[in-house]
Amino acid sequence: MKIAFRLVALAALAGLACWLWTVFFPGPEKVVLKKISALAATANISANDSTLARAAKAGSVVSEFANDAEIAFDGAGTGARTLSGRDEIREAALGGFANVSSLQVQFKDTTARVAADKQSAEVNCTARVSTGDSKDFGIQELRFQLKKIDGDWLITRVETVKTLQ
Amino acid sequence: MQDTDNSAAEAGGRAPGWLQLVLIGRRPKNTLLRILVLVALCAVTFQFILWPIQVDGISMEPTYHDRRICCVNRLAYWRQEPRRGDVVGIRFSDPGFFFKPNAMYMKRIIGLPGESVSFHAGHAYIDGQLLDEPYVKNPCDWEHAPILCGPDQYYVVGDNRSMPFENHKQGRAERIRIMGKVIL
Repeated sequence: MKIAFRLVALAALAGLACWLWTVFFPGPEKVVLKKISALAATANISANDSTLARAAKAGSVVSEFANDAEIAFDGAGTGARTLSGRDEIREAALGGFANVSSLQVQFKDTTARVAADKQSAEVNCTARVSTGDSKDFGIQELRFQLKKIDGDWLITRVETVKTLQ
Repeated sequence: MQDTDNSAAEAGGRAPGWLQLVLIGRRPKNTLLRILVLVALCAVTFQFILWPIQVDGISMEPTYHDRRICCVNRLAYWRQEPRRGDVVGIRFSDPGFFFKPNAMYMKRIIGLPGESVSFHAGHAYIDGQLLDEPYVKNPCDWEHAPILCGPDQYYVVGDNRSMPFENHKQGRAERIRIMGKVIL
């Protein structure tokens, strides 16, 4: 009985150690997913946010992108549009954040695939976006490409995925 | 008779009242076990087999109204491929095999792999043949050149064709995105 108890305690301790290891030293997949969910949280704009706060949020969003990042958007009704480089992305983010009363962005069903060299990754997710007090929301499938630059994961490309072709 | 005697003994010699009988039965332990099994069965069923969904939008009117609750049967295409006329749930990004997607398109299959789908005077044509669609009730004036489905693609469209073609989400869905058949 004593041995069994010790074995169970040992297994529990090993489990706890494994869990702590993943908390303190998360794998690249987890880091990338955290990065993407942080991006969604940053892009949320409340109606009470001042112009300055919105500009700061736009800056935070842009800081998640690499210098030569690209956003290729081809949504329904908006046509195809590509933003190249941080400056264009910043301009679009500033304009977009200033023109909405509020913005809610959520990335759902997120999956990450890290390359074998652990220097690049691809994330697929479904973005759910609503603006203002409207209960209506837009849904768009997105694909992110990230690269590890100077030890930090940065987004190099975002593109819309056509669920129905 | 044996049951009654036992339960009376368990209740300290007193016969259980009608309320107790209705709520927890003669044997509370058995009732609890049944409840646990039922909860487990429901959890497994609604997590992995029948996904409850709520319709959002009018693209499937009049068959499925906005806010209606229905279910996606994940086992419908376990042994057979999707068929024309089936209303299906189509996922966006992949949440993983066992997980329910956060959002899905709900559309009807009208074109099968290898077929071409076109619209003329509001009617759907499959490989040039008029498709009988009794579920389409609203007036439609769509005109569109033939679209060829690939070997692994199904053409899906909503039942409400009264909106402009460009505003109606439709198109070719890969087989891998079809999560199941909508029932109820």
